[in-house]
Amino acid sequence: MTAPGSRDAVDAVVVGTGAGGAPVLARLAAAGLSVVALEAGREWRAGEDFATDEAAQEGLFWTDERLSAGSDPLAFGRNNSGTGVGGSTLHYTAYVPRAQPDDFHLNRDFGVGFDWPIGHAELAPYYDELERFLGVSGPSPYPWGPPRRAYDLPPLPLNGAAQLMQRGCASLGIRTAPAANAALSAPRHQTGFGHRPACSNRGFCQAGCSTGAKASMDVTFLPLARHHGAEIRAGCFVTGFERNAGGAITGVVYDRDGRTERQRCRAVFLCAGAVETPRLLLINGLANGSGQVGRNLMAHTGRQLWGRFDEMVRPYKGIPGGLISEDMHRPADVDFAGGYLLQSIGVMPLTYAGQVARGRGLWGEALRRHMRGYNHVAGINILGECLPSPTNYIELSDEIDRRGLPKPRSHFSAGENEKRLHTHAERVMREIWAAAGASDVWAYDRFAHVIGTCRMGASAQTAVVDGDCRSFEIPNLLICDNSVFPSALSVNPALTIMAVALRAADRFLGRDVQ
Amino acid sequence: MRQRDPLKRDQHYPPGTVRAAVDTDLVTPATARALRARLLPPAGQGVFDAAGRTVLVAACDRLLPQADRSAPIDLAGIVEDRLASGVGDGWRHDVLPCDAVAMQRGVAAIDATAHARHGLGFAQLDMLSRDAVLAAVQRGDVEAQAWAGLDPRRFFEELLAAVTEAYYAHPIAQEEIGYLGMADAKGWTEVGLGARAPHEPEPL
Repeated sequence: MTAPGSRDAVDAVVVGTGAGGAPVLARLAAAGLSVVALEAGREWRAGEDFATDEAAQEGLFWTDERLSAGSDPLAFGRNNSGTGVGGSTLHYTAYVPRAQPDDFHLNRDFGVGFDWPIGHAELAPYYDELERFLGVSGPSPYPWGPPRRAYDLPPLPLNGAAQLMQRGCASLGIRTAPAANAALSAPRHQTGFGHRPACSNRGFCQAGCSTGAKASMDVTFLPLARHHGAEIRAGCFVTGFERNAGGAITGVVYDRDGRTERQRCRAVFLCAGAVETPRLLLINGLANGSGQVGRNLMAHTGRQLWGRFDEMVRPYKGIPGGLISEDMHRPADVDFAGGYLLQSIGVMPLTYAGQVARGRGLWGEALRRHMRGYNHVAGINILGECLPSPTNYIELSDEIDRRGLPKPRSHFSAGENEKRLHTHAERVMREIWAAAGASDVWAYDRFAHVIGTCRMGASAQTAVVDGDCRSFEIPNLLICDNSVFPSALSVNPALTIMAVALRAADRFLGRDVQ
Repeated sequence: MRQRDPLKRDQHYPPGTVRAAVDTDLVTPATARALRARLLPPAGQGVFDAAGRTVLVAACDRLLPQADRSAPIDLAGIVEDRLASGVGDGWRHDVLPCDAVAMQRGVAAIDATAHARHGLGFAQLDMLSRDAVLAAVQRGDVEAQAWAGLDPRRFFEELLAAVTEAYYAHPIAQEEIGYLGMADAKGWTEVGLGARAPHEPEPL
């Protein structure tokens, strides 16, 4: 098989190589299709490039400027964006809980939000497949959700923060378990990549895993895709599309080192994330008959609670999110829709100091003194539901970036549901930290994971894509990333992004796994 | 169990731990490279004029005082280098101008506030008066004229975060807080509560 040149039409172009694009690329390539991935970021060599240092990790974040408006302006960059071959999975913490069945129909259960056109039954086989393929370490049996297969690998060791949360929850009767993490607790061979060692507890998942223990896309789906003949072009920023008289896409236009290049194709999978995906569509005026492109921007409620303990925590060691509780998935007697998960969190000094500065406003000697207690700090945070709102969306601003394209502007203001959920969660977390023996407890408000903006749905009037991730308007355009989520889910999104993407690829290939 | 509050027991760690570790096989070459580069003095140019730089230096002295150091970390220089590089953090408040312009204007507004309240430039004020000006900016309790088009509270938060992150990214500041996360070559087996690897620093 010869490598496809830019003059030849390939079966599919995949835009982006993160949790959405990489599984699609591998699936299509394994089925024998000719596929090219266009990735805006560079290729990284994990062993040589990934310093165990917070300031040095900045190369992994999307630093093209985004404007943030609203009463709770969203932080991008290190908070929730990524760049490079592997996308945001290069710095995700590999926390991979499954969504639960009721996550997919919040509207049916609570009368708010927007239900998914597909559900847990459609995604469960993909969760099974993904956990095996990625090498997820987790507890068996898993205490929450419907019955499921056991994790192949036992959980990773609990760090100080995880043990403290375990202690606090135990005394309150809140169930906990070691979290499911897509990092290996035992070594294994990965097709197309080779040997992946067990996690060394380096703690720097967010700086890029330097050993290959973490299942980022660059050591899992992308080597598999290459093994099956896919081509990955790094440093290629997609700016537009060529279309035929019928409206179908016939080619993708992109910028590589200041030159405009084209790749002809028979289909496009847009997997650029919940900001760049709608931005690209808005810039090109595409696929927006519903008016929903860029709308329904959601960000997980993610309030964090920090405290100090007498014991030495040394919060830089071990997988950062070691412990989980899903007891608050649907808490009783509450005044909000949905729920949240609880997780323990370790923290690196720069991140923590920045939060102390922003969240507590400490400076001068008070800041230095507080930070000298860093080794005694541990945190808990939540990851919870966020409802779509007409006030929350992505649009194009009038400011032009270095490529001559309009910068995106996000509008985000927490609604009543998010505020009530945060209030509940902070009370629960304070109880846990008090029971665990914390002092100097303080909360930091945070919204994580940008979601929505090209939602899937049953109708072309209310959604951008259908349940198979196909555009209602452009027959050979599919969107496979977190922008298609119609609701936020009360779990971290990566595993579900991959599941939705694999399913979309199978449906595209004419396979019906059900 | 809660007799002693670590907050009230201010901890100090021995100096030199990170700088020593960087030169051993405890630290991978990629990490050592990043930390060694940060030990070099910043250029500190390209964004501020001399007057603006003087105000920034005076502000850094109060936001992160280093009177205990014979050779303080040049925080203003690091902040200016970062602004001059044009590489931002991926986002900015819609209500603020771009980072470099916000910083230039904010520093000038701090100086104007000092003039309005004390009849002197910010850098000429005594320490207590400087702190009073900075605290007023942090609260947003400032003369509107000097801060037209710039939200003082948002600006202060951005300035403080930039200075704080410049400081705690520095190996010497990381020694101060007993951090040894950069010792990445072997990973950690002692990850549980209270567990300590032999090479991790203990408080004095």
